[in-house]
Amino acid sequence: MLTLEHFLTLSAIMFALGVIGVLTRRNAIIVFMSVELMLNSANLAFVAFATKLGDPIGQVFVFFVMAIAAAEAAVGLAIMIAVFRNKKTVNIDEINILKW
Amino acid sequence: MLETYLPILLTFAAAVGFAVVATFSSEWFGPQTPNPEKHSTYESGVKPLGTTKDRVSIKYYMVAMLFIIFDLEVVFVYPWATEFGTLFGEHGVAAFWSMMIFLIVFEFGYLYAYKKGGFKWA
Amino acid sequence: MTLASVLFYFFATIAVAGGVLMVTRKNPVHAVLFLVLNFAGVAGVYLVLNAQFIAVVQIIVYAGAIMVLFLFVIMLLKLGGEESVFARQPFVKTLSIVIAALIGAQLTYVFFFAAPDKGTMVDMETGVYPGTVKAIAETLYTKYLLPFEAVGFTLVAATVGALVIGKKKLED
Repeated sequence: MLTLEHFLTLSAIMFALGVIGVLTRRNAIIVFMSVELMLNSANLAFVAFATKLGDPIGQVFVFFVMAIAAAEAAVGLAIMIAVFRNKKTVNIDEINILKW
Repeated sequence: MLETYLPILLTFAAAVGFAVVATFSSEWFGPQTPNPEKHSTYESGVKPLGTTKDRVSIKYYMVAMLFIIFDLEVVFVYPWATEFGTLFGEHGVAAFWSMMIFLIVFEFGYLYAYKKGGFKWA
Repeated sequence: MTLASVLFYFFATIAVAGGVLMVTRKNPVHAVLFLVLNFAGVAGVYLVLNAQFIAVVQIIVYAGAIMVLFLFVIMLLKLGGEESVFARQPFVKTLSIVIAALIGAQLTYVFFFAAPDKGTMVDMETGVYPGTVKAIAETLYTKYLLPFEAVGFTLVAATVGALVIGKKKLED
């Protein structure tokens, strides 16, 4: 039988995968995608609790998270394009102008 | 409960099955006489130009970005539209204006994108 | 095993496999496609949780819209495979996997001990209501009206910001 812990463990595994992606990848877009994976794992935890508690608030929050993720993707990728326009790369090891 | 998704699963299986059969049936049943000309990339009959590694235009980004924003808008309108009767019964005209404020705010973004030429393909 | 358990393990395997492959693929286009697979698996898990509307929205918004934007940007920037970071710093791999394992273990620990009542079943029959469009509408447009209007402003700000930052011509 399925328990709440099944879903929360899946959520934890996905979050850890996102952390691995953020820490090991050098392509800024893939780092960004790993962040999306982590947002998704948070959504999964929200939905699991909403079903467990029989309360739709958790699912409403998933909506807000999705809206913010979409806004973040639109602006973040525009920033990525602007960086590429200036530096000809999105390798985060080479985008180091702040540590001159 | 999950058994009620069976029709959706069947539709899904039919779609996948049709796609697989339509794609591969000529390969399974037809005669095979390959030559280099046949194996070249199909580009509507003309000789293929360049590779698929070509950079696409930034116009696609603008369209996809605006699509996401307005896709989100539709997702937020959908539950309101399906349940408007209930909401109107409980909250009266406020249910109507809650969505109208959202849409009016969105129209400013739309107007800005229009002014800025975000919808122009040039 | 009940039908729900079988489906959960099926979709969870898809989601985890998609996530692992996304993190490990060199080619960014492959990474995006595996992330779409992961989102599809998560949508399946939402269906197991009876969150029907969220499952559909997950496919429409994440797999349909956000990932298309990622694909366009990757093709726009014409990114090749990246050089592996481990070639130069092999210890980074070990370190990052250790850190991620610690975070995963910590999250699992918190989940198992902070859950409202440990080990209870996710009751599929009584858990149907919160996933319906009706339940979401009745919460979103009443109790969460102000955050809902704020989301409108956020999305407008995102439109304006992305247009201002991205609109300039991309020269070769």
